[in-house]
Amino acid sequence: MKLPVKWINESFKKDYSAIELSDLLTLSGIESEIEKDKGEAILDISLTPNRADCFSYKGIIQEISALDNSKIMNQAHPDPQIHHKEIMDVDVQSKEDCPVFMTRVIKSINKNAKTPKWLIKKLERSGYKSINAIVDIANFVMLETGQPLHTYDLRKIDRKIIVRRAKDKEYIDILDGSRKILGPNFLLIADTNKALGIAGIMGSLDSGISNETEDIVLESAYFNFETIMGRARSLSLHSEASMRFERGVDPRIQEYAIQRFTSLINQIAGGSNGPIHSSINKKGMPKNKFITLRKDKIKQILGITIPNQTIKNILNRLDMEIKEKDFGYIGWSVKAPSYRFDINEECDLIEEISRVFGFDQIPEKVEQQNMMLITKSSRQLKREKIDSIFHRIGYNEVVNYSFVSPSMNSLSNSNNDMIDLKNPISIEMSVMRNSLWPGLLNNLSHNIKRQHRNIKIFEVGKRFTSKMGRPLETNVIAGLIYGSRRLESWAYDRNALDFYDLKGHLEDLFSVFSLEQIKYEPVSHPMLCPGVAADIKLKNKNIGIIGMLNPELTNDMKLEQDPFVFEIDFDCLELPGLMSFSSSEYYPSSRRDLSFVLPSEGRISNVIEEIENLDINDLKEVIVFDLFDKKKGENTQKSISIGLIFQAKSRTLKDTEIDDFVSKVINMLEKEFQITIR
Amino acid sequence: MGDNLSDLSNSAIQEINECSSSSELESLRVKYLGKKGSVTAALKSLSKIDPKDRPAYGKRINEIKSMIKEKLSDRKASIKKKEINQSIEDKIIDVSLPGRENFHGHRHPVTKTLLEIEEIFFGAGFVVEDGPEIEDEYHNFTALNIPHNHPARAMHDTFYFNSEYLLRTHTSPIQIRSMEKDGVPIRVIAPGKVYRRDSDITHTPMFHQIEGLVIDKGINFSHLKGILHQFINTFFEEKSDVRFRPSYFPFTEPSAEVDILSKDKKWLEILGCGMVHPKVLENLGINTEIYSGYAFGMGVERLTMLKYGIKDIRSFYENDLNFLNQF
Repeated sequence: MKLPVKWINESFKKDYSAIELSDLLTLSGIESEIEKDKGEAILDISLTPNRADCFSYKGIIQEISALDNSKIMNQAHPDPQIHHKEIMDVDVQSKEDCPVFMTRVIKSINKNAKTPKWLIKKLERSGYKSINAIVDIANFVMLETGQPLHTYDLRKIDRKIIVRRAKDKEYIDILDGSRKILGPNFLLIADTNKALGIAGIMGSLDSGISNETEDIVLESAYFNFETIMGRARSLSLHSEASMRFERGVDPRIQEYAIQRFTSLINQIAGGSNGPIHSSINKKGMPKNKFITLRKDKIKQILGITIPNQTIKNILNRLDMEIKEKDFGYIGWSVKAPSYRFDINEECDLIEEISRVFGFDQIPEKVEQQNMMLITKSSRQLKREKIDSIFHRIGYNEVVNYSFVSPSMNSLSNSNNDMIDLKNPISIEMSVMRNSLWPGLLNNLSHNIKRQHRNIKIFEVGKRFTSKMGRPLETNVIAGLIYGSRRLESWAYDRNALDFYDLKGHLEDLFSVFSLEQIKYEPVSHPMLCPGVAADIKLKNKNIGIIGMLNPELTNDMKLEQDPFVFEIDFDCLELPGLMSFSSSEYYPSSRRDLSFVLPSEGRISNVIEEIENLDINDLKEVIVFDLFDKKKGENTQKSISIGLIFQAKSRTLKDTEIDDFVSKVINMLEKEFQITIR
Repeated sequence: MGDNLSDLSNSAIQEINECSSSSELESLRVKYLGKKGSVTAALKSLSKIDPKDRPAYGKRINEIKSMIKEKLSDRKASIKKKEINQSIEDKIIDVSLPGRENFHGHRHPVTKTLLEIEEIFFGAGFVVEDGPEIEDEYHNFTALNIPHNHPARAMHDTFYFNSEYLLRTHTSPIQIRSMEKDGVPIRVIAPGKVYRRDSDITHTPMFHQIEGLVIDKGINFSHLKGILHQFINTFFEEKSDVRFRPSYFPFTEPSAEVDILSKDKKWLEILGCGMVHPKVLENLGINTEIYSGYAFGMGVERLTMLKYGIKDIRSFYENDLNFLNQF
């Protein structure tokens, strides 16, 4: 809401500067910024939803008066004369929703009358466009008093005005030209055969006034704010009236607003006035009750003792009614004025006192607390370990949006139901990601375009799936590598990063978390290159997936090397428990090397597994130290050299023992894999 | 015989002087002083010498022997020195060539700030709590005193999945869940991603928040002011001027926005806070006559932008390596 500073000053003896006003209001919770419009200072006021009472010139004046303890100079407006007895028949059927409904018929308005300059200026400085005299005056009265008014063309109303709930699927064509389908949770203003407007939100297209209108029905109502709340938003509408009604309009100002409109219209465009017709349902009127305000409670919440006199003075300035409670020993009984919908309980009063007293008057203190040693959560500790590993290997952390396009999601994981947003920002961000890969792929593409040639990135975040209609969130770690193994330098060969680099990084990670017996099993996945993809398994449970990105996905990127990706479950990484130290004496180890050719169907991991399965106690380690792939017709033969390292814990092994172990290995290899040792 | 000894001595001295490697020197030692060496042979031939000349002859040989020993050892030292010098010379490199660099990765600036803030509050006894990003209506709104249709819901442009589930618009539901789980007293920090339907130069539809909550006996507004001012000084690594300005949040009362005074003397809003609304506590069955508490919340991107002078919030989600490498 915008208000010119000059206009504000019309109500006070004192001539406030724009800065004074802006500071005064801002520091007590009414955020105001200064704008200039044609050299004139304007306050641009942002109201929090609780301060409905400030949504007008009158409200802001009251607030300034209370905050600065300065008197408002009231201008008296004599009540306009009544010229005829015609009234509009009104039938308020939904009394709870509409406690006050006042109308007045004004006839023979000069349709050619122009809005005077002073009024246009005030409206324009406050951000309203001038339309015609009737609309301008209605807007001005709303801005001045906070009461939204509605004007109907008398000739367009069929017999009477009915205030009722809309029927299921009842529609209305509203002022902005669109058709809205309503239901029983909307309050409707109607006549005997059509809807005239959605109460408190917007009038209908064909009941409003036009430039030809001479006879009008003026409506000034108080609607229960709960009947209006959220309704405009649910229709994607937004109006000055709805913003005020849903926060709450003063239920005692309807008559004043009608009189003010009438005087102005008479002054500017003549017209003959009928009497005010009121439908009032006293039961539905909001009633502000007396609230107990205890001194102890003020101290409990604010931490300071404010003198009784100061408290009473603040409450008086805010137009509150005060009764002493037990001679002011315990506190007071306080009733807020009708326009303060936000004051319902003790804490509301304490807030009022604190903000008028000034937050700067409350000292900063250090809490006294019982000292307790706490440890970091396992989530934090895990995160620190993961970060340190990936940072050390050269990975930068990225953070991507949790929503992706449906096409990307179906590519990354076709097995799961998608979780669709009902109201996405765009189709590209319309489903919750079920993998972190689409984000990493975007990052790869972005950075390739920026001429980065070595990319190692990882992300820790959530993957979303659903299970029986319930959303499921899984914490995962995902990464992508692309480029050379080392930075480009005189000192290194330029070897491209490959599958085994990435696998090695994960092995680093797994070893830090003491995960053993991780297996990699070939798998096919739409985002990965066939034959270069594996499930990562821990005790037969899938904990992740690794592979080369399918070239179909990266075809347009002009890549020099192949990118590799992984994604693993965060929760499978558990912090290792307390370790126990095992003291061991040193006895020398012996190594024997074996070289052989593995037939194309054999996998090296199986060979090593079978050797380990022989349960040779003193076999400490098996290493693969040489490897050639030989193409032979259609098959690939792998020529492998492995080293067997033997070491006993309590003695030096004899050569004959080691020979026995080695022949055990060779026998097994010959039997299980048809391997001949060279 | 005397001349023979002189020849022996002279040729030994000459050969030792001409010798240039440790291995040659060793063969010279063998040649003269070894079991079959010429000096040893001369000593063995002593018995053939006229007994009256023997003492003088013997003395002479021994003199030659020790002279050769000394020469050998001197020569050995000088050859060793020369050899070390040679091997040192072979090792000379261009020390100005760049080293074999290891590239270390960086934290994303959002994570960096989140962890810094967690660390600061960890020091004051706050426990970090986590919660779901897909929330239900109750935890995101109702439990926080934001009933259905309340105008405050318009402050949070919410992404919905259906009538029950939505993307959390703040990390406050974590606080509700923590109190449901652990009751009071409580002292938690709740970091995480939050989502609002908003996208322009100052808003991204996803961003990060970190919120704090303390509920205990005797907690009041002056404590809130105290801890937040300390936090701001610690986070920005300098003493800052701050002001607490009344505001409105449905879940706190009184509520405040905290502003810091920038270098160009403008007040910048950096976080929201307040005393926990009694309705929120009562919803959780907490006795508000005994317990009170404060809560605060801040936007991580905004704090990061202020701290490092980043202008466009969208750069956090482009993940450009030139940007990431700076943190």
